[in-house]
Amino acid sequence: MLLTSLIVLVAFMVLTVMALRHAVDQRMIEAEKDKLQSLMYGILAAVDRDSTGLSITVSDARIFERALFDSGSGLYAFLYDKKGEIWRSSSSRQSFNKVTDLADEEMRFSRVQQHGKIWFQQAFSIRWPNVHDRLSLYELVIWKSTDDYIQQYERFSQTLWLWLAITIILLLLIMWLVMLWGLRPLRLIGEEVQAIESHQKQRFDANYPSEIKPLTQNLNLLLQREQHQMQRYRNALDDLAHSLKTPLAVLRGLSDKQSQWSDEDRRTLQEQNDRMNQIVSYQLQKAVTLGGELMTHPVNLGALLDKTINALRKVYRGKAIRIELKSSVSASVRMDESDLLEVLGNLIDNACKYGHNRVLVQALQQQDSIQLTIEDDGKGLKAEQLEKILTRGMRLDQTQEGQGIGLAVVKEIVGVYAIPMKFDSSALGGLKVTLTFEVAETTV
Amino acid sequence: MRAIVIEDDPAINKQIVTRLKQEGFAVDSANNGKDGLYLIREYPSDVAIVDLGLPQMSGLEVIRKIRAEGSKLPILILTARGRWQDKVEGLDAGADDYLVKPFHQEEMMARIRVLIRRAAGWSDSSLHCGPIVLEPSSQRVMLSGEEVELTAYEYRVIEYLMMHAGEVVSKSVLTEHLYDDEGDRDSNVIEVFIRRLRQKLDPEETLQPIETLRGRGYRLTLSAAKSA
Repeated sequence: MLLTSLIVLVAFMVLTVMALRHAVDQRMIEAEKDKLQSLMYGILAAVDRDSTGLSITVSDARIFERALFDSGSGLYAFLYDKKGEIWRSSSSRQSFNKVTDLADEEMRFSRVQQHGKIWFQQAFSIRWPNVHDRLSLYELVIWKSTDDYIQQYERFSQTLWLWLAITIILLLLIMWLVMLWGLRPLRLIGEEVQAIESHQKQRFDANYPSEIKPLTQNLNLLLQREQHQMQRYRNALDDLAHSLKTPLAVLRGLSDKQSQWSDEDRRTLQEQNDRMNQIVSYQLQKAVTLGGELMTHPVNLGALLDKTINALRKVYRGKAIRIELKSSVSASVRMDESDLLEVLGNLIDNACKYGHNRVLVQALQQQDSIQLTIEDDGKGLKAEQLEKILTRGMRLDQTQEGQGIGLAVVKEIVGVYAIPMKFDSSALGGLKVTLTFEVAETTV
Repeated sequence: MRAIVIEDDPAINKQIVTRLKQEGFAVDSANNGKDGLYLIREYPSDVAIVDLGLPQMSGLEVIRKIRAEGSKLPILILTARGRWQDKVEGLDAGADDYLVKPFHQEEMMARIRVLIRRAAGWSDSSLHCGPIVLEPSSQRVMLSGEEVELTAYEYRVIEYLMMHAGEVVSKSVLTEHLYDDEGDRDSNVIEVFIRRLRQKLDPEETLQPIETLRGRGYRLTLSAAKSA
């Protein structure tokens, strides 16, 4: 931000200085022009007929500009007739070219190169009568060295640049201080967002200036509404789960019982009941997957892996299966805890179900990512079965008996969070699932 | 065997209780967490089936409380949501296994049997004590490969004794694990069952499988093939 301000400030200042320099240059040249013009009139006042009465000359005694008499003063005046120079001021030791393209009675101011440098030139073409009243054409030309002008202009520029530099430094300093003070509330917001993310706080409650207050108040409202909505949503889904699954459980209980139904009827009833249950389970799982919830609290993947594996070791205590965990992961991932548990639980549970006696779970932290692999020593899946898992639609009437909804739910969740999931054959002989999680940044 | 069922839905509660009774269990049931906790504390049981979403006190809380009190009662949790978070939390709190509603009663029974067997230290699905083999899933008892005809109560007695082979089981414990209601309990009847069991399982009186410890109870003396 300070860098942007610096660029804008410097650009603005440089443009201002250019404009100023141009204006001052114009003004100085105008002043030179005026000065030379009045000198021209002064010299004209000193013009008179010469002794022959046929031509004219300038009477030095009637000229007041002393520089015209100081040798090498840089201010020279020349009078020409048709043939050539007829008078020059005593300050000039060298000749200057006559202006050739002057119209009658034209007065012209210009900058001209002569004798290796630039001069201001004021030229005037005049008609003057001789004793016979015949008008002849003369040319009065004043040359003035630009040395003074250049020197003055340089001095002015130097002073201007110096003050410009001082102003920029001062302004930057002030801006930095203002920004430091002005951005303090934003820094505070950043700190509070972090606290809210880590569930240390529920809302923004620091003392903010009146300009920022509407923002934090709105954010508080948004947070509150979001938390409230999410809670309501989950409660509603829980209620729905209960109200749908309980009657399903009762129906299944009935279908399990010996009754007057024929075996075939009972089997049909059980099948339909199972199907309804799968659909309800899958849709509910899908609905509670949070994915893009505002300010998802980063969760520790390593800790959740431990928790899930401990729970599964308990469940599979009766089966001779060893669940090995190789993990050095300390980083967190930004995911809803319940969604992450759903992914870990389903995948490791599948590995335990299909593995013979070994399940290997490995978590490897690379720079910005965590690679999690779950493999088993079961029969594994053939290429076409893998293909089926990856491409199969989520329609539950397509799932096969025994497949359950676990994998479909996992695919749904990793899809929402955009977590890459890969299926391979494990070196242990069974299936190997690889998930690549992005490490959550710990600072805002 | 005695089971405690804590489930708030009356229909499911009734189904579970009925099925357990059919399988020869003595059953106590409650429809809220508080009453359930009371039952677990008051009645020594072999297994508890606890729903997670209970009124008054959640299933999780019930489990945490009894585990904090040091109880090793095998617990099967029932969850409607089926989310892994619920399962992991339940198992983490101290449950031993889970079932997602709706479930097949066969599966529930299989899991309950595994839990009871595991808690008693058995790893195999049938219990072997010398020449006597008991299959809990089919409720059959074999003696040297021949099936022995037992009444329901006789079966319950031998099942409990075999489950706790080598341990002294008092008459009062046996009655508690056999009968639903206190009114039915008569410790003299236990002696009758034991006598009949001795006759059926050891007709030649060579095995002497059940030892009577005066004033203390009974013990199954045959060596149990527990490999867990």
